[in-house]
Amino acid sequence: MSVAGAPAHDQSKLVEQLEAIIAKKIANDQLVIPALPAVAARCVALLKNPDFSTREVSSILESDPILAAKLLKLANSAAFGGRNSVTSISQAVTRLGASHVKSLIVESSARKLFESNDRRIAEANSRLWTHSVAVAVVARDLTAITGGGEPETAYLAGLLHDVGKPIVASILLDVERALQDMRKRTVWLNDQEWIEVIQRTHRKVGVPLGVRWELPDMVLKTVRDCEEYDNGDRVSASNIVRFANALVKQEGLYVGPVNKDDNDALVMIGKSLLGLDDGAIKRGMAGLAAVRKQAT
Amino acid sequence: MSRILTVDDSRAVRMIVAKQVRELGYEVEEAEDGVLGLAQTEETKFDLIILDVTMPNLDGPGMLSQLRERGDDTPVLMLTSESKRSIVAGLMKLGITDYILKPFKPEELRAKILKALKKEGAAPAAAEAAAVEAAPPPAPSASEVVPAGAARADAGGAKPFFDVLVIDDMENVQKRLRQFLPEHLTLAGALNAQSGLTMCRERVFRVILIDSEMPDVNTASLVKSLRLLQPSAALVLLSLRTTNNAAGEARDMGLDTVVYKPFTSEGVEEFLSKYFDNQELVVKEDDLIRVAAFKGREERLPGYFMRVSSLAAKTLDEIAAACFAEAIVDVSRIPAQSAKPAALIIELGEHARKVGIELRIVGSPEVVQLLRQYAETAGMAVFNTVEQARGAAA
Repeated sequence: MSVAGAPAHDQSKLVEQLEAIIAKKIANDQLVIPALPAVAARCVALLKNPDFSTREVSSILESDPILAAKLLKLANSAAFGGRNSVTSISQAVTRLGASHVKSLIVESSARKLFESNDRRIAEANSRLWTHSVAVAVVARDLTAITGGGEPETAYLAGLLHDVGKPIVASILLDVERALQDMRKRTVWLNDQEWIEVIQRTHRKVGVPLGVRWELPDMVLKTVRDCEEYDNGDRVSASNIVRFANALVKQEGLYVGPVNKDDNDALVMIGKSLLGLDDGAIKRGMAGLAAVRKQAT
Repeated sequence: MSRILTVDDSRAVRMIVAKQVRELGYEVEEAEDGVLGLAQTEETKFDLIILDVTMPNLDGPGMLSQLRERGDDTPVLMLTSESKRSIVAGLMKLGITDYILKPFKPEELRAKILKALKKEGAAPAAAEAAAVEAAPPPAPSASEVVPAGAARADAGGAKPFFDVLVIDDMENVQKRLRQFLPEHLTLAGALNAQSGLTMCRERVFRVILIDSEMPDVNTASLVKSLRLLQPSAALVLLSLRTTNNAAGEARDMGLDTVVYKPFTSEGVEEFLSKYFDNQELVVKEDDLIRVAAFKGREERLPGYFMRVSSLAAKTLDEIAAACFAEAIVDVSRIPAQSAKPAALIIELGEHARKVGIELRIVGSPEVVQLLRQYAETAGMAVFNTVEQARGAAA
């Protein structure tokens, strides 16, 4: 990712060029937005119908053994555990309900976006995924505390608020490889510039992905803007995700530079906007310990 | 007495703020823009300034900036409809103490004033009274079965306190439980998970009973949300006796215990002895155990003896642990009916022997007469007063 000794002028020009490449691809509709995997897409489409057929959804899910195993694991977890163990996919779908099944499918598909064969990107994406999971967990628990909607929607919104980042990272990797193949350039981005390009462009990529995956409006709203609160709908999932994002950044679970003043302001505003006192925030952040543990 | 300045171009906002400040027992002055606000701070030393952002002549950031430039570090609480992070970040750099977004709830304003004045938890009497008055217990809905004058405000005065919440879709469950509970315990009921969660956002509960079989409710998820909302409450599963391994299910979900339906007096007494203060039933003074009189309906009498037996046995352990050779148990106020008092004395005698201490009983003539009817207690020496028992021990 980094090349030492390159003139600063060249570097800033490169950052601008890369941003322009991504912007042009988006404008010309040339950006390859990953599709939801076939199994996931078919299930999500079926689950939209409130009277979906459990049998139909189950039979599709059974064709993806990894997804099916995840579903069974979740249905038998302490959070959902009933008196008896669930042994079939249809039982798992019944126990979890449409909302949780959909969340699991989207989460599983999103996780794949954060995988990379490139060691450097895989490392950065792994930390980025940890940040996203942390925001998701805090947003879900704060939603339960405030009563601001469905905790599951807030979880999904938190998980996907930065979903454009791994895609931009992958585009940058492609460009870097193309330049290397053509032997056109020996200068490449340093870590800070790499993150800068991603931060400046990821929302433009994340939104079309959200549209393509037919994510709920509340999730799309969060992907579109996670920087400023919406006063019109104070205790909404997107505001809770914004607040959770700022809290998680304060905790140091983030990739890239954080403007401390802006972030502290987001926390201060969020407390009043959402009507949360210090005790409630502490409870909402209790789940971070498990996220940290899992990350290490 | 603390003195507070409110600076806002809206007369309505100034009036609301002034009312809250006065109700907290503090003095308040008003200014309608930054220029007038600055002038007042030159004349008077305030303990707190409550400041708007957008105002004519001189706005909040302008006034704050001038205030700091002249070395005035009075705490400032921003009260504004401005939520742009860059503006708030700028205000934080100028050293604001806290921030409230308009429209605001009076409770938030009061809490942040007290916090800014560093008087959290030590509010003046007027503040406490105002807080309780401002947050009266919500009017009971049809599903609530609370005794008259029931709910109490918690220590912070913000949320009303209830002893028990029952979340069960069968309305009769809360009604039946109400009949079993002592009158002084407050009970609220929710007929579905959603209203249970709403109640938990608005109130503080000591114990929450959750039905294990509510339609369309994932009990484990509900328990998780309840834990977040009521971290200090004990969560208890309500289950049918016929349910397989209800205790195991409760344990898996991290619940404290199970109470079985339909309720029995023994079941409810066990529940009460676990979660509600029973110490007044048995009072210890060095080596003396005094058992309190029974109050309540007759059907609760077996539960009374059960709790006394359990508490007195624990107290005997404490007396033994403190190295007393004897213990005096004063049962003169217990009801002298049925075989229960004799059974209690026998149990305590056995327990005392186990822990290696001698037991002396103090009882009323009625208790003495009752004990004479049973072979195990007929020959037992029962004293009329504690002094007599002590004299015998000496």
